[in-house]
Formats: sequence, C-alpha cells, structure tokens
Amino acid sequence: MEPETVPQRDVLMEVRNITLRFGGVTAIEDISFDILEGEVRAIIGPNGAGKSSMLNVINGFYHPQEGEIWFRGEKRKAMKPHEIARHGIARTFQNIALFRGMTTLDNIMTGRLTKMHRNMFWQAIWRGPAEREEVEHREVVERIIDFLEIQHIRKTPVGRLPYGLQKRVELGRALAAEPKLLLLDEPMAGMNIEEKEDMCRFILDVNDEFGATIALIEHDMGVVMDISDRVVVLDYGRKIGDGTPDVVRNDQTVIDAYLGVAHE
Amino acid sequence: MSYLIETILSGLLAGVMYSLVALGFVLIFKASQIFNFAQGVLCLFAALTLASLMLGNTPFSELLHTLGLPNDWMPVVPIWIAVPITILVMIGLAFVIERFVLRYLVNQEPIILFMATIGLAYVLEGMGDLMWGSDVKPLSVGLPEGALDWMFDRFDIYVDKLEIAAAVVATVLVIALSLFSQYTRIGRALRAVADDHQAALSVGISLRTIWIIVWSIAGFVALVAGTMWGAKSGVQFSLSLIALKALPVLILGGFTSIPGAILGGLIIGVGEKLAELYAGPYIGGAIENWFAYVLALAFLLVRPQGLFGERIIERV
Repeated sequence: MEPETVPQRDVLMEVRNITLRFGGVTAIEDISFDILEGEVRAIIGPNGAGKSSMLNVINGFYHPQEGEIWFRGEKRKAMKPHEIARHGIARTFQNIALFRGMTTLDNIMTGRLTKMHRNMFWQAIWRGPAEREEVEHREVVERIIDFLEIQHIRKTPVGRLPYGLQKRVELGRALAAEPKLLLLDEPMAGMNIEEKEDMCRFILDVNDEFGATIALIEHDMGVVMDISDRVVVLDYGRKIGDGTPDVVRNDQTVIDAYLGVAHE
Repeated sequence: MSYLIETILSGLLAGVMYSLVALGFVLIFKASQIFNFAQGVLCLFAALTLASLMLGNTPFSELLHTLGLPNDWMPVVPIWIAVPITILVMIGLAFVIERFVLRYLVNQEPIILFMATIGLAYVLEGMGDLMWGSDVKPLSVGLPEGALDWMFDRFDIYVDKLEIAAAVVATVLVIALSLFSQYTRIGRALRAVADDHQAALSVGISLRTIWIIVWSIAGFVALVAGTMWGAKSGVQFSLSLIALKALPVLILGGFTSIPGAILGGLIIGVGEKLAELYAGPYIGGAIENWFAYVLALAFLLVRPQGLFGERIIERV
C-alpha cells in the first residue's frame, strides 16, 4: 500500500455539491468527491444510502437539482445518457441490463456502437465499407472476449447464461466502448466466493491492462477494501467518509453506519 | 380437389397481404412498445401519395382551388421517380411524428402512446384526404396481372399473378429486413433498443434516432403493403381498415415476433377462405369478415402471448 502515489494522479472527474431530490425525498445531499485518473474508486454505504443514485447522476439517468460535474477538466452541461456514453463513460447495472435475446458477441458489439460512425444508412445495407468497419471492430471485441475468458459462450444468447457469466458479459460490453471512466454498479452482487474472486481479478486487470478508471459500488466491504485505491462512504444520502481503505475502515462514523449505533 | 388447392393458395396469398401490414406493427411495437394504431393509415397514406404522384394530381388541389390558386401544375411522375419521392415522404413523416408526437410522450404509459397513435391515424387520414382527395385511385406499378396460365392449363387452378408477385415481394422484404437487423450496426442498435431501453442508452444509442429509423422502416413497409393492396383493388380509404385485420394476425403471431406476424397472416388468410368455403353455405356466408376475430378470441383464451410472442411471467 503506497498512499503517497495517490496525489500525483490527475483528476478525471469531480462531482461538486450534488443534491438530488425526488419530489420531497432527498436521495443525495450536497455530496462532493473526485475520481483520479487510473484509480479504482469505490462508493460504499448501507442500503438506501444513495450509491446507485450517485452512479445514475454521473451516467446521466438522473439530473441533480444542484451541483456540478467536472469531467476531464471541463464542467459538464446537462446531457442525455447516450451522449454521456459517447463522451467515454460506460457502465454496468446492478440487476444486469443485457440484451437478452442477443448473443454474447452481439451484446459486446453493441458496446462498439459509439465507435462506429463512418457508415451511413445506405452503406449499412450495401456491404463494403460497412463490412470492413464491422471486421475491424470484431477484432477488438474478440480481444475482450479472450480477456474475459468467455470464448465458449460467444454465440450463446445471453438470456440463457448463468448469472455470473452474464455479469461478465455486461462488463465486456462496457469495456468494448473503451471508456475513460467505467462505472460498475455492484459488480459482485449475488455471486459466490469463487465468482467474486474472478470478478475482482477482472476488475483489477481491466484497470491495469485497459487503463480504465473505475468507479464501483459495492455492498461487500471486504471485497471493496481489497481492490480499491480510495473509498467514498455514503449514508442516508450524505457523505460520511472518504479516503484510503485503511482510513475508512477505522473511521468511527463509518463503523457506526455499517454496524448501527446503540442509542442510549 | 383443385378447388381446395385453389382456395388454400388464394388464402395464403391474401395472408401475405395481412402479414405485410402486421409486419409494420411488429417493427414499431418491438422497438418502442407502442401499438401503432396508425399503421393501416400509413399504408393508405403511402399508397395514396404514390398513386397520386403517378396520376399527376396536384397536392392540396381542392384547397388551392378554394384559395383561387393554380391547382394543376403537377406533371405525371414516372414510377421510378415517384417511388423514391414517396419513400422520402414516409421518412419525412417519421421525423415529423417523432418531433411533434413521440418526443413529448417518452416514458408515458403505453395506453397514452396508443391514444396518440389513434389521434395520429385520424390526422393522417384527414391529411391524405386534404392532399390528394378521397376518390378511388388506380395504382399500376407494372406488376404482372391476370391468371397464371400454365397453372390454369395444366392443373385447372386459378392463381392471380399479382398475388404471386406480392408474395415474392413480401418474402424479399422480410429477408432483407432480417439480414439488415442481423448484420448491420443500425440493425444491432434496433435489436438492442427492442431488448432494453436503459442498457441501450448506456452504450450510447440515441432513442430518438432509433425511433425515427424504426418509423421510417415501418413507413417503407407500409408503402410496400399499401402498393400491393392498391394494385389489387385500387387505392381507397377503406385500406386503412386493413389495419384492423392485422390485429387478429398479431394476436395469433405474437406482438413481438416477425415470423409470428408472417405465420399469423398466413393462418388467417387460409383460415378465413376455408371457413368461407366449408362453413359458409351453412351459416349464410360473409364469414371472411369476422372469422379472423373469432380465431383471435379463441387464441386469447388458450395462448394469450401468441404463437411466438414473449411469455409474460411476473415474478412475485
């Protein structure tokens, strides 16, 4: 553990004073934190803490009432989710949102959609340039498939795959977009120990080999502490802790939030 | 025997027509969960535009006449120009529908979108009337017509060449559509949107663009369907009622399945012809008019998701 290396990295994303309300309910209140280039940043917290809401704000599904998001040194204007995807932010979902009727290969190919813009509508019908482009992107996708060790299910419709593999395909789809920032919403939820270990390894490798910055939400404290560089802790829509796993682990407020406090 | 074969054949070919209309429904329903009541009117509008262009009718001629403006300046447009123009009109229509209707109804209940398409149907029908007039227009697109001679000579079976042509066109259309959706970037995006809206957004697919594309394709399919029906019986406003026949077809085939739409159309086409032939004499005929609906009703009781539809299972 070398905490000294952390400050040397550039800031990739900064969220400033984000507040998100649904009607009278405040899901996120005045939260600020930053994500550094190349790090694995975890957002943790008990149920209903606002973790997923935060991810949805970053990804553009929700628009916060207050606050700013700075991405790659620029203040981001209000954008639609698909525009944000085009700006280099990819994500996975807590409950797996794959295209169930499509094969593994096709699912991951959809991750390349933002990269394939040269062909016009009619070119898509008449092969040629469109076909060349397709082949080019197929190679990238095949590399990802190799990397995630899912060659054997390339042509299987993902709806038929077991849960753990679906999670992996979803990671592959996000990865195919070559994102600057990869958002993972509970990548290990519902997995057994073995699958969790696999997933941890993939996340770390993605971080290493693809150079992707990762922000992940996770319930399992143990896992988070092992793989992340820094951790933000949320509780009831507020930030109650922020720092390296060691710092956070020993923070009394965080311990209280997770274990509950006795009320005298 | 030959009479039975003739009946089945003509049923199959009529079924192809139903399938074509149903296909337009399925495309839009898959991509946006909208039951597009206006699909039949889209067929009418497309056929009306094509026929009028080829006849050299001036758009809004009645209106222009009332305003005292010249109203017969349109030349007769040859078919190879008229078809592209009509396609462009249908694509333009897709843009307008997205811009002025769908955009404001994102995330609304399906019933609201359905109501919007009913409104759309009436607006389009009125528009068609205003632009091109309500008289029946002949539409001849150069497809072969009349009996298929060798079938008639050898087997004594009457088959209309036009209906064979319609079947061929429909087959080509369906194959082209499935190749397109299977092997191209946009096809993949279409399937992705049909599968999961949120996930599609997260990989950078713009729903608006996809909707415009889907409605354009549905408009194109409507043009093909409308042209076939128009070639058979002239372009008239009752064409929009075919949409209602497509409804039982969809209940049979499933709202989300292209093969289902085709098979459903064929079953209903053949079924109503056979019913007319065998049961007609006993209950006084005109079975063709209601047979499809009764069959659909029976299907709803036994297999509500249709032959190929997605089974709806709610986890509790």
